[in-house]
Amino acid sequence: MLMQLGLTRGLIYQAAGTVLGMVVTMVWRLLAGMPLWDQEVVFVVGGLVGGFAFMWGVGAIDDWLEWCRGKATPLVHGPPRDKPAWTRYFSTDYNHKVIGIQYSVTSLLMLMIGGSFALIFRAELAQADLQFLGMGMYNKLIGLHGWAVIAAILLGVGGMANYLVPLMIGAEDMAFPRLNAFAFWINVPGGLLLLASAFLGGFDAGWTAYPPLSTQGSVGYQFLFLAIYFVGLSSILGSLNLLVTILTMRPKGMDLFRIPIFCWAVLATSLIQLTATQAIGTAFLMGLSERALGMGFFDPEGGGNPILFQHIFWFYSHPAVYVFVLPGLGIISELLPVFSRKPLFGYRWIALSSLAIALVGFLVWGHHMFTSGYSPYLRVPFMVATLLVAVPTGVKFFSWVATMWGGRLRFPTPMLFTLGAISVFLLGGLTGPILATVASDLYLHDTYFVVGHFHATLFGGFVFPFCAAIYFWFPKITGRMYNEALGKLHFYIMTPAFWLMSIGQMTVGTMGMRRRIVDYDPTLGGGLVEARHLETTIAAFLIGLSILIMIYNLVTSAEIGVRAPANPWRSRSPEWQIPSPVPEHSFAAPLQVVGEPYDYGLEEEYVVMDESQAGHAQAH
Amino acid sequence: MRSNYRRHFLYAGILVVVFTLVIQWVLDLSLPLPDIQGSAQSAAIDNLIGQHVWLIAGAGALVLVIMGYSIVAFRARPGDEDEEGDYFHGHSGLEIAWTVIPLIVVTIYGVIGVQVLAQVTAPQDNEMTVEVEGLQWSWRFAYPEHGEFQTVEMVVPVNRPLLLSMSAVDVLHSFWVVEWRVKQDLVPGITTELRVTPTEVGEFQLRCAELCGLRHAYMLADVRVVSQEDFDAWIDEQLE
Ligand SMILES: [Cu+2]
Ligand SMILES: [Cu+2]
Repeated sequence: MLMQLGLTRGLIYQAAGTVLGMVVTMVWRLLAGMPLWDQEVVFVVGGLVGGFAFMWGVGAIDDWLEWCRGKATPLVHGPPRDKPAWTRYFSTDYNHKVIGIQYSVTSLLMLMIGGSFALIFRAELAQADLQFLGMGMYNKLIGLHGWAVIAAILLGVGGMANYLVPLMIGAEDMAFPRLNAFAFWINVPGGLLLLASAFLGGFDAGWTAYPPLSTQGSVGYQFLFLAIYFVGLSSILGSLNLLVTILTMRPKGMDLFRIPIFCWAVLATSLIQLTATQAIGTAFLMGLSERALGMGFFDPEGGGNPILFQHIFWFYSHPAVYVFVLPGLGIISELLPVFSRKPLFGYRWIALSSLAIALVGFLVWGHHMFTSGYSPYLRVPFMVATLLVAVPTGVKFFSWVATMWGGRLRFPTPMLFTLGAISVFLLGGLTGPILATVASDLYLHDTYFVVGHFHATLFGGFVFPFCAAIYFWFPKITGRMYNEALGKLHFYIMTPAFWLMSIGQMTVGTMGMRRRIVDYDPTLGGGLVEARHLETTIAAFLIGLSILIMIYNLVTSAEIGVRAPANPWRSRSPEWQIPSPVPEHSFAAPLQVVGEPYDYGLEEEYVVMDESQAGHAQAH
Repeated sequence: MRSNYRRHFLYAGILVVVFTLVIQWVLDLSLPLPDIQGSAQSAAIDNLIGQHVWLIAGAGALVLVIMGYSIVAFRARPGDEDEEGDYFHGHSGLEIAWTVIPLIVVTIYGVIGVQVLAQVTAPQDNEMTVEVEGLQWSWRFAYPEHGEFQTVEMVVPVNRPLLLSMSAVDVLHSFWVVEWRVKQDLVPGITTELRVTPTEVGEFQLRCAELCGLRHAYMLADVRVVSQEDFDAWIDEQLE
C-alpha cells in the first residue's frame, strides 16, 4: 500500500539519488586525480540529484517524459481508479483543489515544525543566562526557525491561491495543471533538504545567511542554499501559472475590475514572485559556488565584497514580505464584506493599492542596510521610498474600516480572525516608519524591536488571515462545519497572546536588547527585561497551544462536523454557488457574470450558471 | 440609518482623540528607552522616536476606533439575522483624502528624518579618531593621534566628538553602545565610519549587534567615558 503512494516513491528515489550523486562525484574526482572527499562538492551534487530524483519518483514529470517520447497523455481528472481515494493527496494529482490542499496541509506542518524551533529557544530566553541550550545550538535554531516558517508561509500562500483562484473566476482548473503539480512537489525535497541541513552542522548566521559567516560555516549551508533554490523554483513556476490563469481564464463579462478581490492580491503577489525570486536564487547560488568552487564573490581577499550579498538578498527578501502578506490582506478584503453584509468600500482602490505596494516594494530593499556600510548617500532615497509604502497600505486600512462602517456585522470565527488580522497587521505596519527613518533605525536596527515588528507584520498579514481562510472555506472543502466553540477558543487564546508576545518583543528591543543573542544582560530596562521575556515565552507557548486546538478542530470536524450547506455564509462569490464539498469538476456549467462581486444589499447576483451550456464546460 | 451617521462620526471622532492620547501613554510605558542619554546624538534620536510614537498612536487610534466603533454600533442585533448593511460602495473624495493626507504626513516625517539624520551624522570640528577593530569575539581599539598602542577597553574623553574608523578581521560585526544610540557595522575589507560624541561620564558596554558566530552574544567590551584630564593621564599610562 505504502509503495503505491507517489510520496513514498519520491522519498526512496530522493535517498537513492542523493547517494548516487555523491558516489558519482567521488568516482569522478578520483578519476580526475583529486582527493576522493570534498564535502562541499559531494553534498551539493548529492542534494541536487536527490531533489530531482524525488520529482521523478513522485511522478511529477511522468507526462513530460512521455511527451519527450512523442506520446500524448490525456489529462486525467478524478480520484485514482485502482486505489483508495485518499491516496491522491499523497501522489501527483493535477486537480487544483487537491494541490491547494496539499500546499495548505504541508504549510501547516511546516508552520508547526518551524514554530516548535521557536518554542525551544523561547524557553531558553525566559531567563537570562544560559539554561539548557548551547550557544551554537541557539544560533542554528534561529535560522532554521526563520526558513522553516518562511517556507510554510510560501506554501500557505500557494495553498490559498491554488485552491481559490480557479474557483473564484469559474475556471475548471489552473492554466497548466502539470506545472502546478510540479510546483507543489518541488517543495517537498526542498523542505527535506532544509531540515536535513541541521544534521550537517546546520547554518548559524540566521535566516539572512550573510557572508563571510555563511561562507565559513559548516556544510549545512549548502543544503540551505539548495533547499531555497527548490522552494524558489516553486514560487516562480507557481506564480507564472497563477498569472496566466487569472489573465486568460476568466469567463465572459468578468473584466479585471470585477474579479473577486483576492485574485488581485494574487496577481500582485505573482508579479513579485515571478520577477524577484531569481535574486535570492542568485545570492544563494553565489554563496554556494563561493563555498564549493572557491569563487570569491563576497570575499575581500578574492576581490569580492560582503555587502554585495546583502543587496542581492534583500532585493528579493524585501518584496518577499509582500508575497507573504498581500494574499492575506486579500483574504481580509474578501471576508469583510461577507460578514459586514455590505459592499467592499473602494474596490478599485484596494485592487490598485496591491499593485502599488508590489511596485514600490522593489525600490526599498536598502532599508535593511542603513548600518551596513554602503554609501551614506543611499540612505535617504531608501528612507523616502520606504515611507511611501505607508500610503497604499493606508488606503487598505481605511477602505476596510469604511467597509465595516454602516454594515450589519456578525462575528463567526472567520470574521474574528479577520478583525484580529487587521489589528495585528496595523501594529506591524505602524512600527514600520520608525524603522524606515534612518536615525531611529540606527538605534533600533538589529534589536528585538525589529523582531516584534516583523512578527506582527507576518502574523497580521499571513497567520491570522490564513486561519480566517481555513475556517471560512473549511465547509466548502470538506462539506462539514468546523466546531464554532473551539474556533472561538482558538481566537481568544491566540489574539491576546500574540499582542502580549509582540509588545514584549518590542519592549525589550527599545530597552536595548539585541536580536539573535542566546543570553542577555538582565540589568537592561532597569532590571525589567527578564520579566518581559518570561511573559513573551508564556505567550509564545499559548499561541502554540491555540494552533493545536485548531488542528484538533479541523481533524475532528472533517469527520463528525455538521453537514455544511452550499453557502453557509451567504457569500456572493462563485465558489459558494456550487455544492459543498466542491465537485471534481467544480462548475457544472460556464459562469455568466451578471453583477458586481460585493453588492451585498442588492438583489441581483454576481454570477449565474449558464445552464444551457451545461456539460460543455468539461470539453477540455 | 444614514441620517444618524453625523452622530456616529461625532462620537467616533471624540474617541479617536481620546484613544490617541491613551495609546500614546501606553506606548510610552511599553517602549522605554534607556534612561541615560550618553551622547550628543541620543537626544535627537530619542525625540525622533517620540515623534514616531505619536504617529503610531494617532494612526493606530484612527483605525482601531473606527473598527471598534463599527463592531459595537453596527453589529447585527438579535432579529437582524437576515438584514443587510447600508448600501454604498465607495467615495472618491474620501479615497483621495486618505491617499493625499498620509502622503503629506509621510513627507513631513521624511523631512524630519532627513534633518535628524544630518544632525547625528554631521562631521564636527576637533574630531578625535579611534580605530576600532572587531574580531571573533572581541574588540580592539587604537588611538592613532596619541601613539602606537592597542587596548581591549575603550577609553574616551567626554564631550569630544569621536570619529570611529572601523574594520573587521573575519566576519561582520556591529558597533553599538546602547547609551549612545547609534550603531554601525564593521565589514571585512572596507573601513566604515561612525560619528558619536559621548556626553556622559561613566562606564558603559560595547555590544556587537551583528550575528558573528558562536560567542556573538558575549562579544562585549568595556567603554569608559572620562574627563579630559583623566583621559590624558590614561594616555600617558598607555605610552609608558
Ligand atoms: Cu524590507
Ligand atoms: Cu557579533
